[in-house]
Amino acid sequence: MNRRSYLKRIVVFGAVGVSSFSIFKWTELTRKVDPATLWSKKDMIAELAEIIIPETETPGAKSANVADYIVKVLLNCMDIKKQNKFCAGLDRVESYALDNYGKPFMNCTANEKQAVFEYIASHSGFSYRILNRINKKIFGESFYLTLRDLTIEGYCMSKPGATQGLAYDYIPGNFEACTILKPNQKSWATK
Amino acid sequence: MYNSQKTKEQNTYDAIVIGSGISGGWAAMELCKKGFKTLLLERGRDVKHIADYPTANLNPWDFKYGLNNTLKDQEMDPVQSNSYNPGTKHFYVSDAEHPYIQDQPFHWLRGYQVGGRSLVWGRQCYRMSDLDFEANIKDGIAVDWPIRYKDLAPWYSHVESFIGVSGQKENLPHLPDGEFLPAMELNYIEKHLADSLKKNEENRLLTIARVANLTRGWDHRGPCQNRNLCDRGCPFGGYFSSNSSTIPAAMATGNLTLRPFSIVTEVLYEEQSHRAKGVRIIDALSNEVYEFYSKILFINASTIATAGLLLNSVSSRFPNGFGNDSEQIGHNLMDHHSSAGAYGLHDQFKDYYYKGRRPCGFLIPRFRNLKENEGLNFKRGYNIQGHGERQEWTDLSHNLNGFGKDFKKQLTSPGDWTIWMAGWGECLPYFENQITLDNTQKDKWGQPLIKIDFSFKDNENKMMQDIQKTSAEMLEHAGFKGVEVFNYKKAGGSTVHEMGTARMGHDEKTSVLNKFNQMHNAKNVFITDGSAMTSSSCQNPSLTYMALTARACEFAYQQLKKGDL
Repeated sequence: MNRRSYLKRIVVFGAVGVSSFSIFKWTELTRKVDPATLWSKKDMIAELAEIIIPETETPGAKSANVADYIVKVLLNCMDIKKQNKFCAGLDRVESYALDNYGKPFMNCTANEKQAVFEYIASHSGFSYRILNRINKKIFGESFYLTLRDLTIEGYCMSKPGATQGLAYDYIPGNFEACTILKPNQKSWATK
Repeated sequence: MYNSQKTKEQNTYDAIVIGSGISGGWAAMELCKKGFKTLLLERGRDVKHIADYPTANLNPWDFKYGLNNTLKDQEMDPVQSNSYNPGTKHFYVSDAEHPYIQDQPFHWLRGYQVGGRSLVWGRQCYRMSDLDFEANIKDGIAVDWPIRYKDLAPWYSHVESFIGVSGQKENLPHLPDGEFLPAMELNYIEKHLADSLKKNEENRLLTIARVANLTRGWDHRGPCQNRNLCDRGCPFGGYFSSNSSTIPAAMATGNLTLRPFSIVTEVLYEEQSHRAKGVRIIDALSNEVYEFYSKILFINASTIATAGLLLNSVSSRFPNGFGNDSEQIGHNLMDHHSSAGAYGLHDQFKDYYYKGRRPCGFLIPRFRNLKENEGLNFKRGYNIQGHGERQEWTDLSHNLNGFGKDFKKQLTSPGDWTIWMAGWGECLPYFENQITLDNTQKDKWGQPLIKIDFSFKDNENKMMQDIQKTSAEMLEHAGFKGVEVFNYKKAGGSTVHEMGTARMGHDEKTSVLNKFNQMHNAKNVFITDGSAMTSSSCQNPSLTYMALTARACEFAYQQLKKGDL
């Protein structure tokens, strides 16, 4: 199959996918998100973020208050579709925990939480990049990728993340064009 | 409006300068230093050096939403928000407050404030050469430049010695060396690419960018602290802007009157003398109308706004716009393209890193069409600008899979070396790329909206393909892996190098300005912003605007002294 016909098939496949998508779900994706609902799930977001960037010899996502950043940025800077997908993703986390462990996510053990997260991570998209792209364009970024991107950003731009997790050089003064990397040297927090 | 004799005298200056950006600041300083009582009109607010840089010292965590623009920002400023972030937003206009019409997508990025866009400019300083000044006549395109390199060379030196430009001499005829402060340094991967070019590519070299960032103290400013936060305004004065340099110097003469919130709506024509007698302005805050008068007038409102002002200044003598006998005003709009290039990773040299955030990248000077008949399918050329770095969290967040302890370790350690580079390419002057006024739609001061009709064409598109090809091959020859080419297909205007709407030329029938940037049709009017450009070359143009400005100021001064003006 040459690349062109391959792409054509993908596009047709994508179009079929769209047409079978119900109007009901579309309105669900474009309705306004209630900030209070999202804020009420802050602890759960914090738990998920900590799984992505855990506390080690340096602070983790929780100590960097990343959940607060995620909710603020989502509500004020991200489009409605992304907000809705994020909320739907949190619901999915909750129902997966209930179905499999018979209790809410927050009551799960560390291992159970990890397992729930692994499930979400491995079901976050298609294995073809182009399908992900089409999917993203129509339905918005997946819950998992939004969560991951905002966790990384929130952590690396926080004071604990930038100054302890990474190396922050507020006023470098001079530029050293070529230095020798020290063992375990962290990368710079800012460009 | 009625002006008594007394107000008329109070409102009369030797010189008026419209616009306080990179070229207007220079005009004001040069004229003040020559002893002219000068009125500098700026349509936006005042921005005082250091005092008015509210974000300059902020840390990443000091911003509420990081560097993300809010949904409201994106909605109110659909164009400007592509360029600003919460650290720089206050130096850009609001699109909602300052609308314009796009016949085709065109990003008109603007900073209505004292200092204009000199606060947020890219600081690259490259001289043009006779390869550029002779290009139009050789190709039979548009009109000939009325100047050659030798006319401008001393003025380039004059400007460089004042603003402070760091750079490396390379002895290239098509990219003349300037008066340089010590050069900034290439990092490990950039040196590696430079060596590879020397070995593998005929005719090409890689040098550090030439930038108006100070590698040592200069004119009571700097040196640059390598924070790479220039566009927030520099509390160290580490780079050149009107605010840090020319406007304070003009102020120090005692000859400058700076009037912010002054929207110039018309250049006023005087029948008897065949000259401009002054300007009419609207005070942006009070909405009151004033007139100011002067012997000479410098228009430095920036390419698109300057053309708009001239087209809006109609009289029985100039029914099609002030000084527009040639009917070229508003036409021949150009902007460099900077969309095409290549990116690659290098899996070696992992023992090396760098410290500090050098505020510039590297330059591969133009290597295409240096001679005639190179057999390429496009005219003119491009230079390549880029930078090398090791992957850090912003890059790794999209390229690393997983989560947890190991993921965190990888995310916070330096990744592979990378190079990103893209071609900054010449855009030909096309008559049909133009700005006009739409008299049916007005802004909140009752002024007609500017309509922009611009597109890149065949020559630019073919050049972009060549840029992808040459960029990729240079990276591959240097051992980069996974080399990917790109073409962002950015809208016109995105490079923020608008030029050409009131071009210089020998003949008043086909051009607006003569070889001293003096209007053919009104001898006391000078235009020395980007609108004067007869062709765009591929060099970042601000240095040339500044040199043309200083040269025109000296000419105006000599003419006035002789009584010819």
